Amino acid sequence: MARDTILIVDDAELNREMIKFIFEEQYNVLEAEDGQQAIDLINERGEDLCLIFLDLLMPKKSGLDVLHFMNLNSYIKYIPVIMITGESTDESDEKAYEYGASDIIYKPFAPNVVMRRAKNIMELFEYRINIEQELDERTRELRDSRRKLEQSNDFLVNALSSVVEFRSLESGEHIHRVKYFTKLFLKYLREFYPKYNITKESAALIVNAAALHDLGKIAIPDSILLKPGRLTAEEFEEMKKHTIYGCELLEKFKQEDNEFYRYCYDICRYHHERYDGRGYPDRLKGDEIPIWAQVVSIVDVYDALVSERVYKSPYDVEEAARMIKDGECGIFSPEMLDCFELAKAELFAATENKFSFADSIEA
Amino acid sequence: MTVQECYEQIGGDYNEIMSRLRTEERIRKFAGMFLKEQSYNTLVQTLKDRNQEEAFRAAHTLKGVCQNLSFTALFKSSYDITEALREGDMEKADKLLEKVTEDYQRTLEGVKALIG
Repeated sequence: MARDTILIVDDAELNREMIKFIFEEQYNVLEAEDGQQAIDLINERGEDLCLIFLDLLMPKKSGLDVLHFMNLNSYIKYIPVIMITGESTDESDEKAYEYGASDIIYKPFAPNVVMRRAKNIMELFEYRINIEQELDERTRELRDSRRKLEQSNDFLVNALSSVVEFRSLESGEHIHRVKYFTKLFLKYLREFYPKYNITKESAALIVNAAALHDLGKIAIPDSILLKPGRLTAEEFEEMKKHTIYGCELLEKFKQEDNEFYRYCYDICRYHHERYDGRGYPDRLKGDEIPIWAQVVSIVDVYDALVSERVYKSPYDVEEAARMIKDGECGIFSPEMLDCFELAKAELFAATENKFSFADSIEA
Repeated sequence: MTVQECYEQIGGDYNEIMSRLRTEERIRKFAGMFLKEQSYNTLVQTLKDRNQEEAFRAAHTLKGVCQNLSFTALFKSSYDITEALREGDMEKADKLLEKVTEDYQRTLEGVKALIG
């Protein structure tokens, strides 16, 4: 509803009438004869007010008291105030402006000048309020569409990664666990190793990219992928290529300068590299391995150890932790081992309680 | 009595009020409201009660009303008493009240004659 009401605050009725007659044809006019009445009316009719004329010196509450009240309750942002005063001193003028008055009019005033100035100020406020509302609306729309986009993105990433799982005849929970564990690791990495400069936004992208780490397995033949026993050396060489195949798939949809693409690519390719340089496929060493790939690497190993596979029964969580620390299942950086230590209790709890991962992944 | 005659009689500024309010009808309307204005009576009473704060406010209101109506003579004397009261000089205010009263009576009579 449009604001269409002007409030005139002055202790002398005659002064109020002299302003009222200027506006009463075009606006609703309310009157208050002291500061307290003004405050009560603002509380009651604040939504309707488009302008307040305010005398400075009044019984009960003064004009400055009214301004102070309007500041405390944010009315001053939406309702312009024109002070009316008999004598001009720099000090009181300064104070009125400081308290948020929009203008000062001195007695005696000419009605047509008052009308012009009042209209200018009301227009300015209306314009500003409209702009602010529009901006709020745009921001909300933008946030909504961003949220929808993120939801569809999550959906597609999950759909794609479950294709791989489905083919590997895995339970479907492995990917959820890898995502959850990656999120845990990144929490500690951000807290204790700020040098990696991982923002909250980047962390969310890395968690999603982690879901695609075994994407290349889609290109491994069933005879190897689904083989119940140990792989021969030759078969293992083929199996290792899932890191390359994943990247080849991704490269078909390459997006230059896209952060998410880079995480997906690095994680697919490097999640089997080892800190000592004896991993595959590129034998990267130490910090040559992107930190996000190092994270997915260690959580992937942990989950493999504590999960049941066709060729092995699950290890106990403490035993799995010991094997990782002692370098029996890959070599990891001291930072990764430290994060593992920090996240251990939560990792164990998740493993042992068969945590409901579908619920826990929401960022 | 014309508006101009009235303003001459009470020591007001006819040209100024005319330039602001534009029509005699409007001037008559607002000048007529002066008959209801209570700030002079309040000033007299609060001075008698030695209530400096209230007396100051009453004088200040009277001054503002006269300013709006271009009642120059009464504006000047009410301005002087307002300043005395602002400084808290009650004795000076008592003395100045005589001049205010004189101007007030003259103004009141003039306005009554105008309204008829």
